[in-house]
Amino acid sequence: MEQKPYILIVDDDPDILEGILTILESQPYRLATARDGKKCMEMVAQDIPDLLILDLLMPRMDGWGVIREMRSEPRYAGVPILVLTTVVEDASRRRYELETGMAMDVQDYVQKPAKPAELIQRVEKLLKAYAYRTRQSNFSPG
Amino acid sequence: MLIALASPISVRAERLRRSEIFGGLDEADLMAIAEFCVEERYHEGEVVLAEGAPAEALFVVERGKLALEKKIQIGRHSTPRNATIGYVEPGKLAGFSGLVAPYVYSTSAVCLEPTRVIRIDGPAVREYLEAHPAAGWKVITSVAVLIRDRYRNSIDTLTYFLSVVSHELRSPLAAIENYLQTMLGGYAGELTEKQQRMMKRSLLRVTDLRSLIGDVVDLARMRPEQIQADFEWFDPGEVGTESLEDARLAAAEKGVRIKVEPPPKFEPIVGARRRMRQVFTNLLNNAIKFSPSGSTVTFRAWYEPETLYFEVEDEGSGIPPEDLPHIFEDFFRGDSAGETPGAGLGLSIAKKIMDAHDGKIVVKNLYGESESGTRFTVVIPRNLQTPEMRRQAWMATDEQRING
Repeated sequence: MEQKPYILIVDDDPDILEGILTILESQPYRLATARDGKKCMEMVAQDIPDLLILDLLMPRMDGWGVIREMRSEPRYAGVPILVLTTVVEDASRRRYELETGMAMDVQDYVQKPAKPAELIQRVEKLLKAYAYRTRQSNFSPG
Repeated sequence: MLIALASPISVRAERLRRSEIFGGLDEADLMAIAEFCVEERYHEGEVVLAEGAPAEALFVVERGKLALEKKIQIGRHSTPRNATIGYVEPGKLAGFSGLVAPYVYSTSAVCLEPTRVIRIDGPAVREYLEAHPAAGWKVITSVAVLIRDRYRNSIDTLTYFLSVVSHELRSPLAAIENYLQTMLGGYAGELTEKQQRMMKRSLLRVTDLRSLIGDVVDLARMRPEQIQADFEWFDPGEVGTESLEDARLAAAEKGVRIKVEPPPKFEPIVGARRRMRQVFTNLLNNAIKFSPSGSTVTFRAWYEPETLYFEVEDEGSGIPPEDLPHIFEDFFRGDSAGETPGAGLGLSIAKKIMDAHDGKIVVKNLYGESESGTRFTVVIPRNLQTPEMRRQAWMATDEQRING
């Protein structure tokens, strides 16, 4: 029996969280939410999600901080991240890349507010690709 | 109503000394300038100087407070209103324009409370300062410092304002849009037909507002140097395809077909990639907006040796001739725009982007036997340089100069 994919949604805006939850509850997922980056990392440490839906501008630890921590920890490095943000300027992305010296390693980038159908479609796509990669790596030796 | 008071000249000179720009002058200069001064009193609400009027005098506020106002009119048809852009308090000066050509007031000054001012005759003080360069130098230096401070202050305000507008105003709108879409998608239960219609309208209005905010922020940032700093090599075919993606949904919703006529092969060009996409997307969206359902919008491109052309053509009813000279103005909406959504910034943004590229947008109404519509032609020079190329070229000429 297949387990339901576990999705962690991180946004400091409770209304955005409720909207996204309502949309994704229509699908067979296990869902959890966090209101800032620190809380998000605590929750990831307890239970690694199959997908992270992430806002960028947040208190305590922002989305860039979360991406950095996720990518530097081998156990989480492969978790797909869907960035959901009102910030669309290339400048903020470029600044991140300059500051960290690495490309912003996210699988997808959706402008807020996401259209429900589009959001579900992107989530499905990322989950499938991740499940496929995980199965592949299980077969690989060592 | 104003009352001119005759105070002794030494009193006027003393008051000038306490003002922000005449403070550093010698006693003799102050006494001389005091000759051109009169004291005036104004009631609350009275206009001391009016925007656009000849700047015949400068005013030092003695007591009370002035509000500096600028007339604002958005679009040709809206009612002009006054916006307060600053205040002048005791010791401060209003009416710098009395010192610098073309001697026309750039703002109005209105009394917020009963106010006493010293009125300094503009031509007389200019003549005096010209004849006494040492005093002139001191005054001009203080004016330069004042203007620098005000300028810096206004840039800080603008930057702050832009960041507030772009994030703090858009976030709540995003939350509202998200809820509306969730409910309209049926994820929060069934809706009656009427509820659905009202929510669709709400969504439309909110989406409009959000894109207006985006456009206003964009407009404020749209300086040629900023656009040119982003010049890079890119594939115009790719950018065209992205713009088509941007416009596809609007076209589908309206039942408008987009016909694409690309050149046999796209060559890379230099330009601001993201901005160029905005130009094409704005023109496509504009064409779709004014297209009747079932008609076709044509998007074509071709090369000439010096120039790349992009063209967007619709089968709408064309632009009324009296509107043609205004369509690239900020916030312009022709009367024929009617219920069509938008704030009237799309074309003016596109034009500013093309200006920064030394290019242009040519608009033409098509009236033929069988065809009608409007054609926008984007003309992009192929000899633009990236900042790196400019730097290299500059270094090469510098070397030439050094090596003789």
